[in-house]
Amino acid sequence: MGSGVTKTSEFNKRYDRDGNVIPAALTMKAAVMIQRWYRQYVARMEVRRRYTWNIFQSIEYSDLQDQIKLYNFLGYLVDNFTPSSSERNLISHIFRENEVCRDAEWERYFSYANIEVPDIYSGPRLSFPLDMAQVANLAEAFKNKQQLHSRYVLQLLLETWKLLRVLPNINRVSTCHSKEITICGDLHGQLEDLLLIFYKNGMPSLEKPYIFNGDYVDRGKDSIEILLILFAFLLVYPGDVYLNRGNHEDHIINLRYGFTKEVLKKYKMHGKRILKLLQKIFSWLPLVTVIDHRVLVVHGGISDSTDLSLIARVDRHKYVSAMRPPKKSSASRTNLYRPAVYDEMMISKNRRGSLMFPKPLGSRDSFQRRSLQNFSSTITRTVEEELEIRRRQSEFSLSSFSRSHQILNLSLSSESEPDSSEFTNTNNDEWKQILDLLWSDPMSQDGCIPNEIRGGGCYWGPDVTEDFLNRHNLQLIIRSHECKQDGYEFCHNRNVLTIFSASNYYEVGSNRGAFIRLGPDLVPYFVQYQATGMTRGLSFSQSMKRTEHTALKVLREQLFAHKSDLISAFQVFDKEKTGLISLDNWAAAIERVLRLDLPWLVLHAQLVSNTSDDLLDYHAWFRDLALKKPGCEHIEQTLLEALYRHRSTMETIFRIVDTDNSGFITFEDFRQTLKLLSAYLNIEISDEAVNELVINTDTNNDGSIDIDEFMEAFRLVDKSRLERGRSLLKFKQENQDLPQEEQTPQTAESAASQNVQSPDPKTSDSSDPQTADSLDSQTRDSPVLQRADSSYLQTGTSQDSKTAECSAPQTADSPGLQTDSPSSQTSDSSGSRT
Amino acid sequence: MAPKKKEEPKPAAAPKPPEPEPPKEPEFNPAEVQIEFTAEQIEDFKDAFQLFDRTPTNEMKITFAQCGDLIRALGQNPTNAEVLKVLGKPKAEDMQVKMLDFDQFLPMHQHICKAKDRGTFEDFVEGLRVFDKEGNGTVMGAELRHVLATLGEKMKEDEVEQLMAGQEDANGCINYEAFVKHVMAG
Repeated sequence: MGSGVTKTSEFNKRYDRDGNVIPAALTMKAAVMIQRWYRQYVARMEVRRRYTWNIFQSIEYSDLQDQIKLYNFLGYLVDNFTPSSSERNLISHIFRENEVCRDAEWERYFSYANIEVPDIYSGPRLSFPLDMAQVANLAEAFKNKQQLHSRYVLQLLLETWKLLRVLPNINRVSTCHSKEITICGDLHGQLEDLLLIFYKNGMPSLEKPYIFNGDYVDRGKDSIEILLILFAFLLVYPGDVYLNRGNHEDHIINLRYGFTKEVLKKYKMHGKRILKLLQKIFSWLPLVTVIDHRVLVVHGGISDSTDLSLIARVDRHKYVSAMRPPKKSSASRTNLYRPAVYDEMMISKNRRGSLMFPKPLGSRDSFQRRSLQNFSSTITRTVEEELEIRRRQSEFSLSSFSRSHQILNLSLSSESEPDSSEFTNTNNDEWKQILDLLWSDPMSQDGCIPNEIRGGGCYWGPDVTEDFLNRHNLQLIIRSHECKQDGYEFCHNRNVLTIFSASNYYEVGSNRGAFIRLGPDLVPYFVQYQATGMTRGLSFSQSMKRTEHTALKVLREQLFAHKSDLISAFQVFDKEKTGLISLDNWAAAIERVLRLDLPWLVLHAQLVSNTSDDLLDYHAWFRDLALKKPGCEHIEQTLLEALYRHRSTMETIFRIVDTDNSGFITFEDFRQTLKLLSAYLNIEISDEAVNELVINTDTNNDGSIDIDEFMEAFRLVDKSRLERGRSLLKFKQENQDLPQEEQTPQTAESAASQNVQSPDPKTSDSSDPQTADSLDSQTRDSPVLQRADSSYLQTGTSQDSKTAECSAPQTADSPGLQTDSPSSQTSDSSGSRT
Repeated sequence: MAPKKKEEPKPAAAPKPPEPEPPKEPEFNPAEVQIEFTAEQIEDFKDAFQLFDRTPTNEMKITFAQCGDLIRALGQNPTNAEVLKVLGKPKAEDMQVKMLDFDQFLPMHQHICKAKDRGTFEDFVEGLRVFDKEGNGTVMGAELRHVLATLGEKMKEDEVEQLMAGQEDANGCINYEAFVKHVMAG
């Protein structure tokens, strides 16, 4: 062959085994064939990715609504129970005003001076005023899983509090001197992400200002560490570190989403004081930051009534919690929060539309009025019994609802601050403004409607953005609050930018985090990342599959938790009770009960194991779905199921009732709480049932109940994992290689390996017969949910494991979940780094 | 150099032809397509359609660009050319802009479903076997990458990367039966 240019046809020649040239056409066809298959593969993955995301979001939002509903219910009770009722006392404290004390008294209460730090304490020791070296040291210590001693915690928090009190509501930052500002979004207790940001971008300093846009805590397991680091930087560089308040910087939200629990666990002795101090600190966090008078940085967003000059003037620290308007009065309480509470008004169809693109619901006024009526009628039914009892003790009467409402308010207001009678609508407006800033989400349509999914703030449209920017002479809104697949997302014609810094938020591999660098030209530059060693080496499809796996698991749990309701719904279609139902009806029934607006038909292949013909045997399906064995058969199945379904709510109530944040409540309070719960859920909890629950829980026999331990009992276990675990144990026992404490095929680095899959070795003998029983009992049509006793298989260490907090569905009760570790995690894949 | 005689592709031995079957076929006419799906299947498709629907008011519309993805997600594997054909051969700039609703989508999907045999595991393996020089069940990863990126309906580099991620062994070879199983199982 001559020299010269290689022609493409030559270049693409292929030879077979015998050295003959394979015709180019054949090669081409082969290529096209592969490409077609590849594209189909990608499309299928995309569908899975989308519904996985939808699942997580739906459940997240529906859980958020539960929280709101609960809070409103409690509020209603407080308003309507007589002052002397014991239930009311249990919960009224969260509605009570901020105690009116002087700051000096508070400083005494929070005093750290006489907390001694023992010599053996090997963690960081701080000396004030802090300097950069100490902060870097602190970060390093946290990276090494050390914990800061409570004395230093209190000291640091006190200093922070003092500083925050002199900061304005609106931080003003400038990019002069060619400084680039770094802006970070939600962190949610994921320390790894914060450290990764510092690693990639450098720590805050005079040359490197940072803005942190709220939601530092909850869900992740290192919330307190993140706070301590951020506050430490704030103290060292007060002119270069700016913290905005997020909706999770709120002690009532923290009760449900894990921060309270984390602090109490890590700081058993002083946790209560630390939490109290944090409550104040949160209320003193600035609300927004403005860069160069051009860019607004706020956690949630805006509404059509947002007015920065008003924001600048409010006393932000009066608004301790979004769930609690500043003053108790009928006006404030029946305000925006009521609308969120209404089962009947839930947008049933096409709610998926409302997650991303909400449907308009009519004018806001009519919205509120309608819901108030609905709500009170619902509640009236449920508490009627209770109120009957109380009637003799008071003049309260349902018929004169509004009048007694006023009476109560008067009596209540005597407890609160002297100027309560002067409470006007101004405070109400201010509260709403703050709520909007911290809770709102953007939508694609024009307009501004209440954010009924979250229960607070609003959905605002591009026209509102434009109007707002013009009015305030701004050019860009940077906000967080919503998880985004790539860590950031523009909307509203690139006028609004969402930045989210917690990677792997729903599950390992679910999304990247990102941060922004903004120079004087105010053009955002993004850096994306994904933390955790677990995603290293996972290809996109592997990490997507993991996320999907978790999502489906969560979904199965939801389905299981609604078993009774679902069976009733199925039987609407299956009137002859044959036990069979067509797929279409199956999907319709599920949607009617769960109301998550997910593509059930698309998901059906994943949720139903034997997709034979078009008729589904639903009883068999439920048996396949789960899960635990009955430990207390005498506790009624529907009760157990209801308690399981509402376990987040139940836990929240417990924590509310646990006024001193000790983690324990007395028997009596426990009983009262269950009664409250029974009123709220409208289910019967008999005294015997309560006693049964109590006896089984109080393992210390000291008359008090450990909340964590109680909640441990409401765990659902994956049946297939159970079997795998058992067979593995059996294998090990037969071969007697590993010590029986060792687990499962997970790699040591994986925190999930701490999840016990096989039974506790000590009880392995005794538990085996139990499981044998359970298998048998499961073939009978028997309750599958269980209240665990201590000998049960799944001893939990899952609170500590990373996956329990971060990767298990954050919305569900986190310690309760036995997180699964799909086998892909163990492989040292050589695939590309995501 | 000696000219090589190019053989005509024989559908029996080779993988399926990439072009639509009758090359001179008239334009795709949705009205002529008979919908043969069952009601249940249609419900299924609607669910999937909604997943791709990004309109603000949930109007059940998707862009032209998504049409191919949706058809593939529902289990077909048309070539890009086939997809463009049922879309009426739109211009490139229309792909992201023009929308279609579910009723317009259904005949397109039906046509693709009916149009050809979908290709089996064996066909796919055959296609890959073309590149198996040594006849030992493996292909060179580098070669495959090159082919996929330069021939046929070219793939982009990152697409190739994603497809091949984790498939190559230490020598850069891919066991293609396993590979096919991987792709088909998704």
